[in-house]
Amino acid sequence: MRNKQTMRGVFINGVLNENPIFRLVLGVCPTLAATTNATNGLGMGIAATFVLLGSNIVISLLRNFIPNKVRIPAYIVVISTFVTVVQMIIQAFVPSLYDALGIFIPLIVVNCIILARAEAFAGKNSVLHSAADGLGMGVGFTLALILIGIVRELVGNGSVFGLDILGPTFQPMLIAIMAPGGFIFFGLILGIVNSIVNKAGKRSAGKGVKA
Amino acid sequence: MNLRMSAGPHFVARESTQTLMLDVIIALIPTVAAGVYLFGLRAAWVLAVAVISAVLAEFIWQKLAKKSVRVGDLSAVVTGLILGLNMPAEAPLWLPAIGSFIAILLVKQLFGGIGHNFMNPAMLARGVMLVSWPAQMTIYTLPIRVLGNTSVVPSPDVVSAATPLIRPSAYSTYDLLIGNIPGTVGEVCKLAIIIGFLYMLFVGTISWHIPVTFVGSVALLSWILGSDPLTAILSGGVLFGAVFMATDYVTNPLLNIGHLIFGIGCGIIVVVIREFGNYPEGVTFAILLMNTATPLIDRWTNRRVYGTVKKHA
Amino acid sequence: MMEFTLVNFLLFMVNCVLSNNFIFSRYLGCCPFLGVSSKVETAAGMGVAVTFVMGLASLMTYIVYYYVLVPLGLQYLDTISFILVIAALVQFVEMFLKKSVPALYRALGIYLPLITTNCAVLGVTLLNISDQYNMLWSVLNGVFGALGFLLAIVLMAGARERLESSNIPKAFKGFPISLVIAGLMSVAFLGFTGLVH
Repeated sequence: MRNKQTMRGVFINGVLNENPIFRLVLGVCPTLAATTNATNGLGMGIAATFVLLGSNIVISLLRNFIPNKVRIPAYIVVISTFVTVVQMIIQAFVPSLYDALGIFIPLIVVNCIILARAEAFAGKNSVLHSAADGLGMGVGFTLALILIGIVRELVGNGSVFGLDILGPTFQPMLIAIMAPGGFIFFGLILGIVNSIVNKAGKRSAGKGVKA
Repeated sequence: MNLRMSAGPHFVARESTQTLMLDVIIALIPTVAAGVYLFGLRAAWVLAVAVISAVLAEFIWQKLAKKSVRVGDLSAVVTGLILGLNMPAEAPLWLPAIGSFIAILLVKQLFGGIGHNFMNPAMLARGVMLVSWPAQMTIYTLPIRVLGNTSVVPSPDVVSAATPLIRPSAYSTYDLLIGNIPGTVGEVCKLAIIIGFLYMLFVGTISWHIPVTFVGSVALLSWILGSDPLTAILSGGVLFGAVFMATDYVTNPLLNIGHLIFGIGCGIIVVVIREFGNYPEGVTFAILLMNTATPLIDRWTNRRVYGTVKKHA
Repeated sequence: MMEFTLVNFLLFMVNCVLSNNFIFSRYLGCCPFLGVSSKVETAAGMGVAVTFVMGLASLMTYIVYYYVLVPLGLQYLDTISFILVIAALVQFVEMFLKKSVPALYRALGIYLPLITTNCAVLGVTLLNISDQYNMLWSVLNGVFGALGFLLAIVLMAGARERLESSNIPKAFKGFPISLVIAGLMSVAFLGFTGLVH
């Protein structure tokens, strides 16, 4: 089935229908930790996208050579290699992001999204499709992180991407950028996204009946 | 079989909730009166904004969710009132408004409305505000009027002053009891709180278990750690929290044995936070933490019932 | 490095379990925390299994780091070698329990495969290195960190069991409401900040 999908379809699927954060709810820890502001969300998103893309391509290339029994450890080696590369790049070129995300950069290794895509998609599909899937999932992950990051930064700091939006009279709600705020704002945004999707689903289902 | 224990309280008929809430409001009257007398019109405004916002939040949600509007059960009024009493009189008026919306929408209605919130809405909202706006939530000022014969000099202007928790020796036991001290609107007058407590005890709204064990364990532990136990229980929000917040039916255990555990747990946490933590007072967090533990306390004090249900399920 | 005394031991425990709880303040281990917390019994089982693995993993990775990677100058391979150590360890624990302690295996077995990708485990081993703990404190960090996780997941399961019959808006059922519950609990745990300086 999946092999017949267009690459564009695979990409769009990752961004929307199977958005890793809003639809599959994978990778909760980095989502919470990296969304204290929009910039961190973007940084974590790009890093994870790079790893997803790389690991999906390599695992897809190797899919006929990796014995089924040791596939999970093999996937983990591939993923952690890319993570180590990303970690070194961030440390060298964006030290501020390295300090902000801290331990959550090496922890991309155990981000469920990446292993899940290796297992569910890259291990079974062609290289190009796997690349499209990795990119789509990565972009979907990044957009979701940015959305949550924007909301938390705006409420908790009055700014977006570091730019002051709400002015000096705004009294920021500090808890939004603290630990509880991560859980609460992610939960609320996820619920709102769910209700939008439910409504859209009902509408399209209604149309289907009429047609 | 799909029989499950439903969450308490098991009285959800509108009349009984309304009667119960009315009794709590009656019990709060002395505290409200004392707070408004001591801190003036500003305190009345804070209370009014908190109550109106809470009722409005409840009304808006029930309209939007197309549920029957049940603001008449007075539970939102109680939540707003208790929230307002937990704030300093000089708090900017947007603060009680936001707090009431957090309490009603996030903590109560999102979980299915009255009877289903697992944390006390007013307490959680206060915790959120204390962490988010620490400066505005701790503008503690001297009362503008005082009650009785005291050395405390009332001040009609806004004069920040250290609460008894920061400077225990600054106020006499009389002042602590009568409320001639800086603090939140509702917590300062202990005499009014005690009157409310006796009223609720008399009409059977609450039992003695939680307030007595809560206050008792704070006194005992403070004494062990070398503080004056009477000052410890008359300072800060222990009495107000123990009588009006810890006793919230929905968020404390079902059985009396659970109430004892709940009260002692609150007392221990309050003293630990006061003595060792970052925050000068720990009543809010103590009650929230024990709310969090309540489902487990219920399980362990009520094990047989749950076990039986599980096996058949 | 902290000296090992009873006071330090207790303060360290309070810090790991309450003040800097793995879930409520450090965001480590959220996937199993949300995924395996619908029943108190299973949540407790998961917590115990994680405690077991986190303690052992802290010990093993300490040995690997200071006795293999450091002498070879390969410290940058910490992430990759730690995750392999953890994966192997989980496999080994699973086999060992299956053969030697079948009762425990039956209780914990189903959680073990999930633990490899629990970021709390890899997280604590990396924190042990970056915080420069010695072997003893590393193991304690693993065990106490996991006990904090155990506390969090059991509290969560208690709340979720209680809310099973509640009329939560449809769009919020499942993950969204669980995240909000975790957030509210996290507010309560803020009360413990600063207990240990």
